[in-house]
Amino acid sequence: MTPLGHRPTSGSDATAAAGAGGSAGAAMKLLTHNLLTSHVRGLQPGGGFPLQIQASSVRVRSVPFNAAFVARMVPRLRWAALLEAAESLGHASELPPEPSPGYEGDEDFLRRLHHLLLEVEVLEGSLQCPASGRRFPIARGIPNMLLSEEEA
Amino acid sequence: MAETEAAADGQEPAPCEEGSELAAVIGATVPTGFELAAAEEVQEKLGSASRISRDRGKIYFEVPAGSLPQVHRLRSVDNLFVVVQEFKDYQFKASKEDALKDLEELVKNLPWSSPLKVWELNNSLKKKKSKRKKPNVQPAASRETLREEGEEEGSDPKGTSGEEDSAHNSASVELTSDQDTGETKAAEAQNGEEKEGDPEQSDSKDELQEGSESVAKAGEAQPSEGGTKVLKFRVTCNRAGDKHSFTSNEAARDFGGAVQEHFQWKADMTDFDVEVLLNIHNNEVVVGIALTEESLHRRNITHFGPTTLRSTLAYGMLRLCDPQPTDIIVDPMCGTGAIPIEGATEWPSCYHIAGDNNPQAVKRAANNICSLLKRQESKESSSAPGIPLDIIQWDICNLPLRTGCVDIIVSDMPFGKRIGSKKKNWDLYPACLMEMGRICVPGTGRAVLLTQDKKCFAKALSRMGHIWRKGQTVWVNVGGLHAAVYLLRRTWEQAEERRSFW
Repeated sequence: MTPLGHRPTSGSDATAAAGAGGSAGAAMKLLTHNLLTSHVRGLQPGGGFPLQIQASSVRVRSVPFNAAFVARMVPRLRWAALLEAAESLGHASELPPEPSPGYEGDEDFLRRLHHLLLEVEVLEGSLQCPASGRRFPIARGIPNMLLSEEEA
Repeated sequence: MAETEAAADGQEPAPCEEGSELAAVIGATVPTGFELAAAEEVQEKLGSASRISRDRGKIYFEVPAGSLPQVHRLRSVDNLFVVVQEFKDYQFKASKEDALKDLEELVKNLPWSSPLKVWELNNSLKKKKSKRKKPNVQPAASRETLREEGEEEGSDPKGTSGEEDSAHNSASVELTSDQDTGETKAAEAQNGEEKEGDPEQSDSKDELQEGSESVAKAGEAQPSEGGTKVLKFRVTCNRAGDKHSFTSNEAARDFGGAVQEHFQWKADMTDFDVEVLLNIHNNEVVVGIALTEESLHRRNITHFGPTTLRSTLAYGMLRLCDPQPTDIIVDPMCGTGAIPIEGATEWPSCYHIAGDNNPQAVKRAANNICSLLKRQESKESSSAPGIPLDIIQWDICNLPLRTGCVDIIVSDMPFGKRIGSKKKNWDLYPACLMEMGRICVPGTGRAVLLTQDKKCFAKALSRMGHIWRKGQTVWVNVGGLHAAVYLLRRTWEQAEERRSFW
């Protein structure tokens, strides 16, 4: 599979992937991506984060909205990494550069965040370590983060 | 089915029968060690208090019969039965003959009518929920062992009992819970049980514990000419204790004989409508009627692996860590995904991540999630919403997760008997505990870990006092092996960012 690099994938991927979507159950969500880091040996602390997403197949799957859940997640997220991930999937404009004070009550903001964190799923593509360049493939929604003997 | 009443002469009137709502005393089998957790769930979801029996792995509670649907949705329960009568301190006569005769005499005096009403009600629930005809479910004894699923979705044709027995369709409909899937599930579930090598049993250690019984006559029942069906039944006896003069086989046989005479039902070991339970634990005797045809505990899993954990045990483990909304819960050795799937289903306001290094396991977990989504789909008749669960292929010793970002770790650690070996555990356990400690949130984080290799675990833990504090330990029985579930609490000490290698 050819990773598309940093150029945002077109929004049509979401609907185009509907056919492929039936074959995969869970697929990588951006909330998960926000927690993932590269663990190649020899990196500086924090050097493996965030992984850069190159997605060739993305789908959107609705998840019931839970405002409290989203609001509580905000402090745990690495916001810059989330923005970067959103941009790489073509959803950059949906989020502010920082969560603004009072975000807990801003339903519009929370819904957009909910959508990005939980409803946009990467089916095929790769995650690239920003320091080493090592690519971890995503197939059928599942990232493979196993390192070879030499890398670990 | 109405003819059950005809034979019930001279019965004491059942409590709460006419004029007020039918009540049922329900007995539930739960994974040993999690009786309290099960009682809590019953309290939360049904509002009833439970008694925990001295016969481990059982709890009893009373509910209005109308609550049966909710009872079936309990997550911590393996099997359900309605209690006919309990004897807290039954005095068995010394000689085998006398003791057995007493049991036989018991039958005609038991208060059958209310429990049988509950049983009927339960049957009609099953009929309502079943979406299509299901093949007869063969009991475990006659079933072939399931081979590894491997790549294929389909089940072994010999494994499923393919025949539709239309005369007994209603009675043999598989119990459906909300999570139920298609025809093959029952067969697979039972097969999975077989594969473990040890039938799921109560914990009493005694010979003939299976007491899967044999009433001597086993005629094939035919619907009678008049169009009313004669019920078929079997008796299952579980006996534990060292002072009884008889075996469970003998008790089942004689008790069954008396049941047959009393009700004029036909005995059938494999294709029965009513399963009468005779549970004897020292001096505690409980007579019941089964409400579940097969254990609920495999409900989430359609694709088994060699060590798939029962959903009820997964549920108990998750409860133990008391998940709070928005907690991030990780199972870093998820196998076929039993724990994360149970987690995502019951705690949908948490976020669940499942991981394993084994590609087969990852594939099976993904398939199980797929099946789960499909089941939810048919209910709503629209495309199913996603669930808060992701899967990743990774190495437990080197997790690709940020330091201190996970609230809860729940896992079934390799036992050494089926996966890997004891020697590998020696190296693996310290590495696991270290990595788990790193990714876990200091102070508030916790881990619930199941293992049979208690010695190795204790040793690994003893070197981790700066990262993990031991909390509660629950002793459990997994496929006949004595295992332990350890609750650990993460200390406040921050973990190093850079991993050390050993």
